[in-house]
Amino acid sequence: MTLQDRVHIPQEVLARHVGEETVMLHLANGTYYCLDPVGARVWQLLEQGKTLTEACDVLRDEYDVPGDQLERDVLDLVESLSGHGLVVVG
Amino acid sequence: MTIDYSRRNARAQAPMQTVPFREWAFPDGALWTQFYRSHEGYLLRFPGLADFAVSADARTVSCHPMADTTDDTLEHLYLNQVLPLVLSTLGRLVVHASAVEIDGGAVAFVAESGRGKSTLAACFSTSGFRFLTDDGLVLDPADAGFDVLPSHPSIRLWSDSQDSVVGAPTAVDPSGRDSSKARVDADTHVAFCAHARPLRRAYFLGDGSAASFTCERMGATEALVAWVRHSFLLDLDERPLLARHFDQVAVLANLSCAYRLDYPRRFEQLARLRDAIVEHLRDESVAA
Repeated sequence: MTLQDRVHIPQEVLARHVGEETVMLHLANGTYYCLDPVGARVWQLLEQGKTLTEACDVLRDEYDVPGDQLERDVLDLVESLSGHGLVVVG
Repeated sequence: MTIDYSRRNARAQAPMQTVPFREWAFPDGALWTQFYRSHEGYLLRFPGLADFAVSADARTVSCHPMADTTDDTLEHLYLNQVLPLVLSTLGRLVVHASAVEIDGGAVAFVAESGRGKSTLAACFSTSGFRFLTDDGLVLDPADAGFDVLPSHPSIRLWSDSQDSVVGAPTAVDPSGRDSSKARVDADTHVAFCAHARPLRRAYFLGDGSAASFTCERMGATEALVAWVRHSFLLDLDERPLLARHFDQVAVLANLSCAYRLDYPRRFEQLARLRDAIVEHLRDESVAA
């Protein structure tokens, strides 16, 4: 996975904004997942079809986080989402 | 939405050829309900009491009781267990909750069995607040949220609750565990609301470990998880239904009407508890 990748969300994954968070349901296993407000914002950007780099560019303007730290956090999050089958990279 | 319910002749519960895809048990581990898939749809088995065959489209339910199972027990199993599951298969949102009418709105008490939701419904309904349902609360989407639909006009109470809240205990059905509650029908003393009311508040009942009345608003995500946990859902493998249910509970969670409520379980404090809930509801309504 690289920062130039995009992700797509499988049809069997549903996501809804609940309060300031995002809750996902994976229909294949009936498991629910939750993203905190920052994770929810990342999800929103990825949902829009942005690459990870494009998402980081937006986030850099919104959060006071060093650039390399931000990229590592986004990559970690997407890797975790991918590991749970919530997104497909590429 | 009509469901064709029929009662067949009594029969023994033959061993099933498949394993249940789900089971419900009492807190002590004793088996309460087994869920099987069948050629016709589903078979819900209450060991030692009855089988209920549900058609694949959930429009037809046939009850096959055991010989010794009483009419009262069968009615309870159908109304409080089978029907909510069937309604969930038809896309309705049904939760383990009682509900009462306060100031024209519905207030739900959501909890698993044994946490006092029926006792609360009885306490309110004998004090000028009508009850809408004792369990199997059906939520109907409405313009500004959800309406709570009225259900069967009766409340099932353990004998100690009945004695404390509505009067002297009557004979109870000894044939089953959950069935050994007494049924109290609505009357002039136990008031029933036969009309849908908008959901104003949902209190999720704690385990009674609180030393005093404790009530806290739940975050949206916590509320969503709580609504899911207390929902009736017959078949979790039915993806369209699961997706619809997820949408419904997400809307519910965003209503910000869910609170955690706990209090000592003492019958002599029920009246004070009732007053505290009404006060809390009215104070929060003003604050909102």
